[in-house]
Amino acid sequence: MNVKEKLEPLLLKVQKPARYIGGELHSVIKDKADIDFRIALCFPDTYEIGMSHLGLKILYDIINLDPHCWAERVYAPWIDFEKLMREKGLPLYGLESLDSLDEFQAIGFSLQYELSYTNILNMLDLAGIDPRAACRKESDPIVFAGGPCASNPEPLCDFMDLFQIGEGEEVMMEMIALYRKMKAEGTYTKKDFLREAAQIPGIYVPSLYEITYHEDGTIASVTPKDGAPAKVTKRIIQDMSAVRYPETFIVPYMETVHDRAVLEVMRGCIRGCRFCQAGFIYRPLRAKTPDVLCGQAKLLCDSTGYDELSLSSLSTSDHPQVEELLNRIIDYTDEKKIGLSLPSLRVDNFSESLMEKVSRIHKSGLTFAPEAGNQRMRDVINKNVDEEEIMRTCRIAFEGGYTNVKLYFMSSLPTETDEDVKDIGRLAQRIVDLFFSLEKRPRKMVNVSISVAVFVPKCDTPFQWVGQDTFEVIERKQKALVDSIRSRKISVSWHDVHTSVLEGVIARGDRRLGDAIYRAWKKGCVFDSWSECFHFDRWMEAIHEAGLTPEFYASRTRDLDEILPWDHIDVGVSKAFLKHEWEKAQRAETTRNCREQCAGCGASKLLTRKDGVCVE
Amino acid sequence: MLSEKNSNEKRKVVVVQGRDIYEYRAFYQKFERAKYISHLDLYRAVQRTFQRADIPVWFTEGYNPHIYLTFPMPIFLGCEGVEESFDFRTTVDMEPEELMEKLNAAFPEGIRVTRMAAPVHKATEIARARYTLLVSSEGKTGEELRGLWEAFASSPEILAEKRTKKGMKTVDLKPMLFSSQAEAEGEALRLTLETACGIAENLSPVLLIDTFAAGNGFEADYRLIRRDGMYLENGEAFC
Repeated sequence: MNVKEKLEPLLLKVQKPARYIGGELHSVIKDKADIDFRIALCFPDTYEIGMSHLGLKILYDIINLDPHCWAERVYAPWIDFEKLMREKGLPLYGLESLDSLDEFQAIGFSLQYELSYTNILNMLDLAGIDPRAACRKESDPIVFAGGPCASNPEPLCDFMDLFQIGEGEEVMMEMIALYRKMKAEGTYTKKDFLREAAQIPGIYVPSLYEITYHEDGTIASVTPKDGAPAKVTKRIIQDMSAVRYPETFIVPYMETVHDRAVLEVMRGCIRGCRFCQAGFIYRPLRAKTPDVLCGQAKLLCDSTGYDELSLSSLSTSDHPQVEELLNRIIDYTDEKKIGLSLPSLRVDNFSESLMEKVSRIHKSGLTFAPEAGNQRMRDVINKNVDEEEIMRTCRIAFEGGYTNVKLYFMSSLPTETDEDVKDIGRLAQRIVDLFFSLEKRPRKMVNVSISVAVFVPKCDTPFQWVGQDTFEVIERKQKALVDSIRSRKISVSWHDVHTSVLEGVIARGDRRLGDAIYRAWKKGCVFDSWSECFHFDRWMEAIHEAGLTPEFYASRTRDLDEILPWDHIDVGVSKAFLKHEWEKAQRAETTRNCREQCAGCGASKLLTRKDGVCVE
Repeated sequence: MLSEKNSNEKRKVVVVQGRDIYEYRAFYQKFERAKYISHLDLYRAVQRTFQRADIPVWFTEGYNPHIYLTFPMPIFLGCEGVEESFDFRTTVDMEPEELMEKLNAAFPEGIRVTRMAAPVHKATEIARARYTLLVSSEGKTGEELRGLWEAFASSPEILAEKRTKKGMKTVDLKPMLFSSQAEAEGEALRLTLETACGIAENLSPVLLIDTFAAGNGFEADYRLIRRDGMYLENGEAFC
């Protein structure tokens, strides 16, 4: 059904109608007569957030290159529009064709954040599709998901026909090819398709795995059937310089979160910070060459008209040719009057002439992420910066005219005591003192703002076995820090404790948690990451009604030998390595970065070139 | 310092810091999905279009240089336009036809430049605008709506709550409604309105029709809102 007729009168009754109408520059419109595979790329959050996500831009581009396929975008309607859609019987639709999702062959969701899961159920329901895979009809589209949170797919197994594990460029097209082939041959049934799909490396079909549990709720066994592999190994792109990158982006009308050209400079990270899931699941490090990057930057900026370009990666300063890259990119952006933003950039070891160039454009303020307040804690998490470096950076900043310094920390880290948390405040105080000790300090008053997130243990990290601090402990530590701060030059902000605990529950959840997610959605939970929509009490009810407890998932420390819910998903990094890292963390021992010395994490097995080295 | 010289009907010449700069007024249409763009978003969309079209557009010369671009009487969200305009400047004397071609090749769906000329009137001279609307409401016929409208439009005053800088205020809309024609079109009511549109006095047709609907106890569904043109006090078309 085309919804245009029903849609238009509703648009003037909601906030930001541009979210719901499509028609942006470079959105892809195709003739349905040429198409035999239609796919909805869904982002389970608002348009502004979903439109900022690079992964879906890449997949949208790759799929639409195929003349027989048409990929469209779908975002979660905000609650005002959802209400009208339900009142007027308007189904969820693709932004390109304005056709409802029942006309599509596949519906894929990007999993970026655990607190967006109820939106997935809600979007399927709005499309008239049962969120529970077991209740769906043979004629319903294939529903699947991918993205970083698919590294523990288990809490979503009730809702997904399959998952794509790892980087999607190749596995997506292989999945589509299989579907089209079976349809063309007349051999397609959903069951047969899923059984065949499970043979594609990187595809996980949860219904082909039987899980049994011990009395205490831990997993007793995971048994694959119908020839599904015992372990599903993550897919990676072998050569980042050779893989297709979008030559243009859709240019939205309304302002989105990242409303600019984004250049992905590399995947993976050499740092190995032990709390950071991205640092492990995107291994090994693979960079694009400066030549390729400069070409891609120019294509993107020329075709979109964006006047801002952002270099994206987990740590851009670790690019093997960062100096050459920045020199060339800055020359281009200067000439074209394009602003360059350089998130996650460490500027400490640049040459003087590049420093001068970078600092000319990098004036917005100074942010720094020491993550913990003292050296022991930074060693526990393997954040290899020392206080001297922090102080030196702040000194350079103050002497260069900055007065606002923003520092990111985490609390409730493994082995952390109340005294460790208070050290965050002490460090901030020493930065304030440093400011006043400088003769060349700016005349404006200094402000050190510290933002403290609550640590959430994630799968595939050395902390995957660790019990998260309970509410009481998190709140006690927060209070200890706030009470320890005397200076009005220091401002503190916190992440919400309730969302962090729920995130902790879902991040390491098993299949049984699907029932809790379903119940929470039935109770009206959507947009859980938006404080105005978050109902912690409903979530707790849902978890208990499902016969589970939040403590089992969040604050329980796992036995090192326990079968973990995600053990049959292989992201490349070995469990033995993670155990070794966890042991070192408890002794506050650091591990050197991949470029200094290979730590033997195991991710190099994903590379087809067999020299056994990931980093040049 | 700005001064004028050598202007013709194609463009105006202004001198900025000793340099000739060429000013144009582009008349454009905004329709289909593009009508849901807010003014701020439209402003950004046009700026990006200049970048893509590779036009030697003039940047302001302040601390934070940006493309010089002004819209006389911005059009509101949800409203189509057939004779809207924006002013911009180039650093090179260009033929209007060439500019128009380049812009239209780079504009997104639903925005088209129809002609280009040197600005004649000032934006502050705009006083009125003509609109066409198609309005319906569930359970009402176009004929019923027409009857209700005739009664509404002929009442001596039309009081409405209007948001102002000092909070909500009751105003009489009647003196700002210059003329209205109504006809039934199936389930819908087709209205042709002329209302105040300008810096001093401005009446949005949506406020007028929402007031009409609220007074008669229904909610209006807008099928079409279109601004057909803008005029000076003396009735001359803005150009």
